[in-house]
Amino acid sequence: MTDGDYDYLIKLLALGDSGVGKTTFLYRYTDNKFNPKFITTVGIDFREKRVVYSTRSPNGSPGKAFKVHLQLWDTAGQERFRSLTTAFFRDAMGFLLMFDLTSQQSFLNVRNWMSQLQANAYCENPDIVLIGNKADLSDQREVNERQAKDLADKYGIPYLETSAATGQAVEQAVGALLDLVMKRMEQCVDKAPGAANGAGTAGPEPPAPRGARCAC
Amino acid sequence: MSEAVDLSFLSDAERELILQVLQRDEELRKAEERRIRRLKNELLEIRRKGAKRGSQRYSERTCARCQQSLGRVSPKANTCHGCNHLVCRDCRAYGPNGSWRCKVCTKEAELKKATGDWFYDQRVNRFANRLGSDLVRLSLRYKAAASKRETVGQTLLQKAQLSDAKSSSAAQQKNTRSPLPTDGCVSLLFQGSIPWDLGLGASLGSRSSVLVDEREPIFKKNPRRVVRPAEYTKSVIDLRPEDFVGQSSSLGDRSKSVPGLATELDEEEEDIDNLVEIHRQRVARGSMRSGASSSTLGSMVSIYSEAGDFGNIAVTGGISFSLSYEQKTQTLFIHVKECRQLAYGDEAKKRSNPYVKTYLLPDKSRQGKRKTTIKRNTINPLYNELLKYEINKSLLLARTLQFSVWHHDRFGRNTFLGEVEIPMDSWNFDSQLEEFLPLHGKIGTDAAGLHQYKGELVVSMKYIPSPKHPGAGNGRKGKTGEGGELQVWIKEAKNLTAVKSGGTSDSFVKGYLLPHKNKAFKRKTPVVKKSLNPHYNHTFVYNGINPEDLQHICLELTVWDREPLSSNDFLGGVRLGVGNGMSNGQAVDWMDSTGEELNLWQKMRQYPGSWAEGTLQLRSTMAKMRP
Repeated sequence: MTDGDYDYLIKLLALGDSGVGKTTFLYRYTDNKFNPKFITTVGIDFREKRVVYSTRSPNGSPGKAFKVHLQLWDTAGQERFRSLTTAFFRDAMGFLLMFDLTSQQSFLNVRNWMSQLQANAYCENPDIVLIGNKADLSDQREVNERQAKDLADKYGIPYLETSAATGQAVEQAVGALLDLVMKRMEQCVDKAPGAANGAGTAGPEPPAPRGARCAC
Repeated sequence: MSEAVDLSFLSDAERELILQVLQRDEELRKAEERRIRRLKNELLEIRRKGAKRGSQRYSERTCARCQQSLGRVSPKANTCHGCNHLVCRDCRAYGPNGSWRCKVCTKEAELKKATGDWFYDQRVNRFANRLGSDLVRLSLRYKAAASKRETVGQTLLQKAQLSDAKSSSAAQQKNTRSPLPTDGCVSLLFQGSIPWDLGLGASLGSRSSVLVDEREPIFKKNPRRVVRPAEYTKSVIDLRPEDFVGQSSSLGDRSKSVPGLATELDEEEEDIDNLVEIHRQRVARGSMRSGASSSTLGSMVSIYSEAGDFGNIAVTGGISFSLSYEQKTQTLFIHVKECRQLAYGDEAKKRSNPYVKTYLLPDKSRQGKRKTTIKRNTINPLYNELLKYEINKSLLLARTLQFSVWHHDRFGRNTFLGEVEIPMDSWNFDSQLEEFLPLHGKIGTDAAGLHQYKGELVVSMKYIPSPKHPGAGNGRKGKTGEGGELQVWIKEAKNLTAVKSGGTSDSFVKGYLLPHKNKAFKRKTPVVKKSLNPHYNHTFVYNGINPEDLQHICLELTVWDREPLSSNDFLGGVRLGVGNGMSNGQAVDWMDSTGEELNLWQKMRQYPGSWAEGTLQLRSTMAKMRP
């Protein structure tokens, strides 16, 4: 698994309240299995998965394919591990912010998690996907889609409803995040050399405000 | 310490679980490090092959990559936006939207993605911006924490291991000793509270912004020299035999009681410059030679002072060997099997008495030399001998194994029969298959060093134009304070080559503002001891620089290993400037910046008054680099 035979190592991290299903979600994603038992995560853990990521050119035809090694960090939702888990935020390139569709409280706490992210991630506006998990338990549902979608729109992030039990939209959710991270990566390296445009001549782009968004 | 994390609440079982996770993470990280090293070497190879450096011919209409003539082309449409070089069609790579960059710039961008640097650079910026210099302070406390790539998992694991070592060895005598230089901050991971915040509380002002005066350090340096510890000998990883180590540490002790040694400093200073000069000459000649004889590899005359005759042997044949690394004893085993079809060392008598010699470059000391026995009168010698190096794996990966084959002449000088270099970081140690590699002529270690990854230097620069009456430079001419100010914040270096026993270096950075190469323009950082990822966190200030000067000056930064009792070792360097080979209307060879070097300089010029930061690959030689 770790032979270095890949093009990119992408580190993602799942966060959210205790019991929303972060661990089972990741287990479903990496192993395509479901474990209904609740075993609380001790501090931190991670799983790995190798995927192929294809870029799409502007006209929609498939571009290059890359081997991506995913390191998926799983964090404890419990408060007592908070200091440990938030410290790991800074090492992740993208975030799966999860709540439980059957728990209004876990949804309300999304705001708190957002501010934790803004304070501790590698930059102030990292790539995040909002995930409402346990979509299969429709009879116990406490959060409606509209509500969640509005919140996601407010933050300008994608929202998906998933079920680790059935596997619904699990792949898509991680895929959406990976897409964002890969795009950000492209932007970062594209922009960088532009700064050196022309010795003395003014570059075509206006000088970006430094350090405001991504500092690259 | 608002952000300090108290982890003492964890139970032993929890602690054990988390450690296991961190250990798995470490495995992944190690594999990643190896991959990145491979990638970086690839880039250097590409760069070396093609790039036009700041030579006199820069402005001519040749492609900067393949040196093909471009004929009558519009410079505008044929200039790479990455490096501002003119580039022919064949040396471009087109993006999906029809834009293009030259192949080197493309490769650099790819590398930035593949290594994750796009991410780490941002992360560093963020925390640096917000916290000022505290990441630096962190690294001062925990020696190993110096890399921008370092993750929280890594830090935790290291601290945990440290605390393990502590608690097991010194269960009763708390805090008596620790393998790392602590100032009481390396608290036990799961027993007490950790200053997690990476020094959040540290004051912003700790960055030393000193205008270096050349005379002042004499007193400052002296006590530093005393610090040179005998701990060196404790190291398990030591390539030098014991008598040598003993010697060096006793010399260190001696200097402790002889404060007068400081008077040698000036001489030593000259030594450093001298060394660069020699270094330059050597490489210049070396590259001249290799440029001229790329097709006739055999007929090269070495300029190296090795005891031996490089003669006019046309190198033939190859060497067959296998390598293995034993983790338990930290030993590299080189099984030299045989050589085949060697050239005759004694052409007249059609005789060769060949033996094989190895070095783990860059170490060319006698202690780093291994030899096989001499086989008489054969050009197909069968050795089946085992050569051993006791060296830590991670250090080994930074080395290059060099085999050279020599004809032993009992009465005259030995004759060079060929050599081959193998960068250890790209070697697959899992396969212990026998390998046969052809020998080539002497390229010289410095030329071979061109491919070598020497680590990186993180620099932030700011140009502050003169605040009052801009453009009125002729009021009181020549006065300092006129013109603008160039500030160069030397932040840190990464992955430096280890040249001292114990696998470390005591490094400092020296800066010159070319074309001036005198003391008034020399700046130096303090020495950071025993680190391959030193945080200098030191600012050089140059006054009286007008905006238009930035077109003509070039900042040369070189990293050195300080060797108080002999000459300092060169560890790498960079040059920052416009890279067009010209200064004040004259062609100069030092205006040769490319890639990131050039980017950073231009970024600084574009945004006066704000910091431009960059991570620069260290060059392995400061001679102008042309293929």
